[in-house]
Amino acid sequence: MLSNLLRISFLVIVFAQPSWAAGPDSADTYEYQLSNGLKLIVREDHRAPTVAHMVWYRAGSMDEVNGKTGVAHVLEHMMFKGTHKVKAGEFSRLVAAVGGRENAFTSRDYTAYFQQVEKSKLEEVIKLEADRMSNLNFDDAEFLKEIQVVMEERRLRTEDNPSSLLNESLMASAYMSSPYRHPVVGWMNDLQNMKASDARDWYRSWYAPNNATVVIAGDVDAKKILAMVEKYYGVAAAHELPVRKPQIEPTQKGIKSAQVKVPADSAQLAMAWKVPRLEPGKLDDPEPYALELLTAVLDGYDNARLNRVLVKQEKVVNDIGVGYDMISRGPELFLISATMSKGKTVAQAQASIRKALDELKQKGILESELKRIKVRILSEQIYKRDSIFGQAMEIGSTEMAEFSWKDIDYMLRKMQTITPNQVQAVAKKYLVDDGLTVAVLDPQVRKSEGKEGK
Amino acid sequence: MNLPIKSISVCLFAFGLIANAHAILPIDQLDSYKGAKAYLVQTKALPMVDIEVSIDAGDRYDPAGKSGLADMAAGLMNYGVKGDKGILTEAQIADEIADLGANIGLSVGGERAILRIRSLSRKDLRDRAVKLAAAMLSTPTYDAKIVEREKQRTITSLQEAETKPEYVLERRFKKSVYGNYPLADSPSVKSVSAVSVSDLKQFHQQFYRGDRMIVSIVGDVDRAQANEIVQALLKQIPPSGQIIAKLPELQRSPVEPLTQREIQIPFDSQQAHIAMGMTAIARSNPDYFPLLVGNYILGGGGFVSRLMSEVREKRGLAYSVFSYFAPGKDNGIFQAGLQTKNDQASQALEVMSSTIAQFIADGPTPSELVAAKANLVNGYPLRIDNNRKLLDNISSIAWNDLPLDTMDVWAKQVEAVTLEQVKAAFQKHLAMDRMKIVVLGAKNK
Repeated sequence: MLSNLLRISFLVIVFAQPSWAAGPDSADTYEYQLSNGLKLIVREDHRAPTVAHMVWYRAGSMDEVNGKTGVAHVLEHMMFKGTHKVKAGEFSRLVAAVGGRENAFTSRDYTAYFQQVEKSKLEEVIKLEADRMSNLNFDDAEFLKEIQVVMEERRLRTEDNPSSLLNESLMASAYMSSPYRHPVVGWMNDLQNMKASDARDWYRSWYAPNNATVVIAGDVDAKKILAMVEKYYGVAAAHELPVRKPQIEPTQKGIKSAQVKVPADSAQLAMAWKVPRLEPGKLDDPEPYALELLTAVLDGYDNARLNRVLVKQEKVVNDIGVGYDMISRGPELFLISATMSKGKTVAQAQASIRKALDELKQKGILESELKRIKVRILSEQIYKRDSIFGQAMEIGSTEMAEFSWKDIDYMLRKMQTITPNQVQAVAKKYLVDDGLTVAVLDPQVRKSEGKEGK
Repeated sequence: MNLPIKSISVCLFAFGLIANAHAILPIDQLDSYKGAKAYLVQTKALPMVDIEVSIDAGDRYDPAGKSGLADMAAGLMNYGVKGDKGILTEAQIADEIADLGANIGLSVGGERAILRIRSLSRKDLRDRAVKLAAAMLSTPTYDAKIVEREKQRTITSLQEAETKPEYVLERRFKKSVYGNYPLADSPSVKSVSAVSVSDLKQFHQQFYRGDRMIVSIVGDVDRAQANEIVQALLKQIPPSGQIIAKLPELQRSPVEPLTQREIQIPFDSQQAHIAMGMTAIARSNPDYFPLLVGNYILGGGGFVSRLMSEVREKRGLAYSVFSYFAPGKDNGIFQAGLQTKNDQASQALEVMSSTIAQFIADGPTPSELVAAKANLVNGYPLRIDNNRKLLDNISSIAWNDLPLDTMDVWAKQVEAVTLEQVKAAFQKHLAMDRMKIVVLGAKNK
């Protein structure tokens, strides 16, 4: 799978077939900074009379400390529970009244809130969002109910979901000191012991205009938007942010493994290697781009290498996927995950994966394979412009990793320059056992499957 | 706060803006070809085109004992076709799609199979994508070895799904609510094993024909180009074929004592999963709008519905709780659901039931109705603000035989809904003593 950058990006690359290139480009994007430190990015796209409004805080689960995992996500829930002026639950009612769609999401790297509205309703939602940047005020009773909801969310998405449990175990094994080892939703015991004051502390620490980026995309006029944003977000007071410790993961010195025994039918295998990410200020480092392209060569389309060989020819796995995202705040993994075919073992699948990787490391990849991937990346740039929300997502997630939206264009051009040799080189250098973690899901029969009754 | 009153006047104004400055794009009915109807909405801002073929060949046509056949008939189309220069293998098809920078996807629902193409609109690329999709639609080879491989993959996935609470719940709920209608049956290891190459070929020959197809196109092509696309897509498709036996009517969920309607499935998961529902209406039913508006209030409106308020906001019982109507072309169902930790299952079911019962009995309050209409009308532009959403809309309009001005009058129809209509429609179509209930989870008490 290609990273978010590649999937969501819309910028047009100068390339050999210019008729593919059309429509808006970075000339329609405007960046401002308010005196309180808030960054505003406006993308004008006038195809339809709608607008996406997002605020991104650079505070995700990687900023949490021991015993308080999950607090970034819990606070995200509490942000709907009232301010000095807007009572609990009223935020959503007011957004609904103007026909808005809204939600929020928390990742390792950030927490983001958004509304999509018909354009004349934008001021209404800016007012509400700006209010909860500084004036959140929920009571303990609201917290006690909502923490139960969050635990139900964890039960739904993790405790009863074998793939999530495998992934949780994989991350906790692969990383020793990096906060990426903790799940975004938090460990259940930390949730059980969380207090309203933990959430309030989190809010006071990280929710400030100087830690936020507002992204607005759609049928708007950037100058008018700036005035509106000044009016509502401009009153928020900046404050000093907590010191972020680097918590750099020590170099892995040998293979690691984990096993998870949970109710399931098929065995699953995850192989994850420590690999570099793209670092701000080092946009010319070819390795992250080569890793993105390696991902696609292995898994970017139906006839890509792993699917072709392992699913269709050898029939050793039922499904296989590859993940890597060069844009992130923390350390990156190159992840191959697979579900076994009936009668095949994890050892057989691992041997087949290793064989496919060895072949690539020894013989390299074809120019034609790489060209196919690059064409795909270019056409996706056009398709992604169909969604203004997707455009806002791309800008925000890129900014949160301390790149500029202006870098996206450059990154995509850089991607087109990567050669087959560079792809082969990163495979050789990084897909080695010393940096590998292997996690296996060992399926168990459920205890109490009985007869249904009435 | 009297906000809802204020917002209703604002919303009417807003809708006016859209109707003037951004007129809703018209649906152009294209020339019929091979008995298939075809529609176009032109959008010129992006050099791309989305094309959909809906085929009246959904799961409900699976023969008894062969559930999964319709899925496989469509799902295997990209694994080998007879082109004009011989067989194209699955690898060649996948490479060609990738080289074109196109997406071609197949999916199958209860009513229809859907083929979707997304391509750049440049003629040479578009022509090749359409040609390839046409071959998939008309000349799939259903190679025996590939069929065997994909059957095995499907079976492995099914066995995995059978360990998941949400899948087991949904399958059992469908069985209850659909009764004697063919959608009651879900694919099983046995039914998928029973599907043969000749079943696939026969199903394809029976159902994949012009008089069972509708083509919808959105994007940067004009009427003449769109007509060319339709003709290229359906070039080798027969216009009609043998008569297909009519499906039985979906019988309304009967009044039954609770013990007959409620199923308990013991399941060793942390959460209990609960589904409740009954047969309801088709999309063309005149009560569609009252039920749409009413369900927004009951359980459809994101964070602000009654179910969300009672189950999640007030009691913290669940992360997700919802209700919806799923109106199809010929029939439809109503369904509500939630998940909660096992020892709260009875309480959560009780809260959900009483919330639905009260809504059926009393209907919404005037301010709830105003708020619901404000949301739906003000939010309408968000339903049609890109090519993909427009394609969803016109394809639904065409499939359900709705008037071509459906998008233009949608907001007016929402506005026209009255309190009495909502209450009457809920009382007419839903009844607590008809609701099927499935509770999956560890036994407690």
